[in-house]
Amino acid sequence: MLNLLWILLGGYGAGILLPLCLPGRPASQRLTTSVAAIVATSAGVVLGLLGLTASEPVTGSLVSTIPLLTLEIRLDSLAAFFVFMISAVGLATSIYAVGYLRHSEKRASTAALGALFNGFLLCMTLVILADNAYFFLLAWELMSLLSYFLVVTEHEKAEVRYAGLFYLVMTHLGTAFIVTAFLIFFQNAGSFSFEAFRHPEHPLSEGMRTLVFLLALLGFGTKAGIVPLHVWLPYAHPVAPSHVSAVMSGVMIKTAIYGLIRVYFDFFGGQFPWWWGFTVLFLGAVSALLGVMYALMEHDLKRLLAFHSVENIGIILLGVGAGMIFQSYGLKELAALGLLAGLYHTINHAMFKALLFLGAGSLLYATQTRNMEEYGGLLRRMPWTGFFFLIGAVSISALPPTNGFVSEWLVFQTLFLSFQIPTVFLKLMLPIAAAILALTGVLALACFAKAFGIAFLAQPRSSHARHAEEVPVSMRIGQGILATLCVALGIAPIVVVPLLDQAVAPLTGRSIASKILAIDGWALAPGNVEFSSLSTPVLALLLVVSAMLGLGLAVALGGRLTIRRSKSWGCGITLTPRMEYTATGFVQPIKRVFSTIYQPTVKLETEFLIESRYFAKRRYFEFHIEPIFEKYLYDPLVAFLGTLADRLKVIQAGGLHLYLTYIFVTLIALLLLAV
Amino acid sequence: MQGLSSIGSQLIDLCSALLLLTCFAIVAQRRLSACVDLFALQSAVLFVTAALVAYLTKSHHIYIAAGLTGVIKVIVIPRVLKKVIDHLNVKRELVMHVNVPTGLLICGGLVMLAFFIAQPIIPLGPLLTRDSLAIALAIVLIGLFTMIARQQAVSQLVGFLVLENGLFLGATAATYGMPLVVELGVFFDVLIATLIAGIYTNRLQDAFNSVDTDQLTILKE
Repeated sequence: MLNLLWILLGGYGAGILLPLCLPGRPASQRLTTSVAAIVATSAGVVLGLLGLTASEPVTGSLVSTIPLLTLEIRLDSLAAFFVFMISAVGLATSIYAVGYLRHSEKRASTAALGALFNGFLLCMTLVILADNAYFFLLAWELMSLLSYFLVVTEHEKAEVRYAGLFYLVMTHLGTAFIVTAFLIFFQNAGSFSFEAFRHPEHPLSEGMRTLVFLLALLGFGTKAGIVPLHVWLPYAHPVAPSHVSAVMSGVMIKTAIYGLIRVYFDFFGGQFPWWWGFTVLFLGAVSALLGVMYALMEHDLKRLLAFHSVENIGIILLGVGAGMIFQSYGLKELAALGLLAGLYHTINHAMFKALLFLGAGSLLYATQTRNMEEYGGLLRRMPWTGFFFLIGAVSISALPPTNGFVSEWLVFQTLFLSFQIPTVFLKLMLPIAAAILALTGVLALACFAKAFGIAFLAQPRSSHARHAEEVPVSMRIGQGILATLCVALGIAPIVVVPLLDQAVAPLTGRSIASKILAIDGWALAPGNVEFSSLSTPVLALLLVVSAMLGLGLAVALGGRLTIRRSKSWGCGITLTPRMEYTATGFVQPIKRVFSTIYQPTVKLETEFLIESRYFAKRRYFEFHIEPIFEKYLYDPLVAFLGTLADRLKVIQAGGLHLYLTYIFVTLIALLLLAV
Repeated sequence: MQGLSSIGSQLIDLCSALLLLTCFAIVAQRRLSACVDLFALQSAVLFVTAALVAYLTKSHHIYIAAGLTGVIKVIVIPRVLKKVIDHLNVKRELVMHVNVPTGLLICGGLVMLAFFIAQPIIPLGPLLTRDSLAIALAIVLIGLFTMIARQQAVSQLVGFLVLENGLFLGATAATYGMPLVVELGVFFDVLIATLIAGIYTNRLQDAFNSVDTDQLTILKE
């Protein structure tokens, strides 16, 4: 396995260096970066699968010349799971990038973009592999910085620079919390090694443990995009090149989930009070609901997807949080189930979100715009992209037979099994979380009915859409891989669950794969078979059979199988794209229902003909929803920091002598203190 | 041997006292070129001190450090500074933040403070250079004070160099010199700092027609 690791490191290394050594030849640069990344990610996929099935964690270490820093790595089953996920998404996006980069050739240096992309994937893998807090933080910080550079690829635009700055500030805020949490561990353990964190000589005091819990939640939560720390996602993800958005949204934010599980279940050994799990569950529920609600109101396809990342991180945290609650009540098997559901959704989200971002990238490639209102009728022009996007949309809406359905079903089951908890409060709360999850699912379905319908169906709404063409083969292959994985993960949970169980079992101490898989091995039954069970292959078969049956019946009852082309009847007038349902119109009812949350401002102005006020010449319609968190949380915070800085300006007068005097006085004071 | 050591210790004390005296002279001196000369003199005394310590303790690497002091601080840096001063139109400190008599009094206070602070650690130091530690600390403080009290960039630079001399004396006195690598690094730093500050002073002269560093405040928004 170490050989594979070397291939992986070598591949990424080549991907970073080679394109920079080929100046002025963008075609060969593009090829080398992608080939190197494909080699490295393929090695990563195999490494992940081998690591998941291995009985013992693989470890290795390299002493560095920097004090306290040892390059320790450890590939246990949890890490292997994440390595597999990163590499699989990385593989698909690198293939996709071959075609996609051609589109951005004039706007950005292909070599720099390729090198940064390889470095980004490498750092993410190292974050997962690191078994030393110092090394982890180094990789984490590099990952954040490289992704920042990728976000600001099109830095000529003010919008992109603002998004980049926003991301940089938020991610460093998060890192500060993580550093503090790790320093507390370090203080106690006397070493940066994760092994020492796991088994310290003296356990941390109760207060310190709580502090670490909160710091880790805030720190990793910022990266994951938990409400209200999610504000950077809808800025940063849309402006990055699409294959980068796919990786950032699909897997980078998952490294935070990895961090949370690592700290709570591994370092703390799963020993924590119930309210930790409840806090995670609560934040998960809020993120899931608000994420999807804001996504509904977006007409920028990539921003919409970014908000959906907030939603799905929420769903993952519902699983993890429920698992934590069960764990604190000693219900080990249910804890394992919750964690498994969370991890299952983690990999599912990685697949379908990356797929959807690649789809959005293809649309951007073909039409040069991210605004949904300018799409329309693209299914006929881009059938492959449309088909793959549909699979992604079905997955994210949690419909069978795709993967989103299975993992959300497992999260539901976990939440329903809360009747085994002895506390009434939690018995009440977990079903409420399940209800919120149900609402989330419905809204996600509405959102993707909108996204797919507006973008791909009806007539083109702009000349961009009218002249769109299908994307190059490499981009289609990239999407195809992810689409296949989406369906595969959905149809074969009986294969996936035992693998995930390998990752979960060391954390909770229970292996539950044999219990979840019902006796005949073709169905999942988390509680017991009478309570609920699900067999996705049968379900998929049913769907196919019923579709065939419907078709057969239609034919039998006199339907025709030939395609008839004629104009839609429009009451005698010619139909134009302007008469189509718009994205804004589609979500109008939902906006009305939830107006308390959206706080929409609608502006409608009518310009009349001079001759008569009965005839409107032109109407202006404008509508915004209030960015609540930015307005009520971040703006006051920034304003407060601004005033604080103004106050501090008094002592920063700019005089050299004044600064020297500060140093002098401090020196004297410290010397006197020391005596 | 006992005799030699006691004479050596007396000699080192004498040198340290001379170093301190040159500090006071620098504080009292308004003419820039004279300040630079006094710094060169101080460095020369420091060179002798270091050489003495090297001879008495037979640690050869201090010879190298002493030699570097001789070359860099006695010859190169004063020459650079003289060149800078030639370029200036104001060659005296006209207005000082603290006038000379008050400055001297404050420096006297700083010396007392340094001895007071060093009191508990003096008995722990090596026999040969016991009192030098307190004097080194005093020189550091006076150097810093010079940087605050003066307005001309050149005399601030001299203050910085005096401070560095104090550190060098402290290192030699307390531990018989830092590791040679560190010593070389420090010399290199000082040389570079002087060069940069010299260039910067020239630019300042060109831009503001003065090297009064208080004028830098107008760079603020």
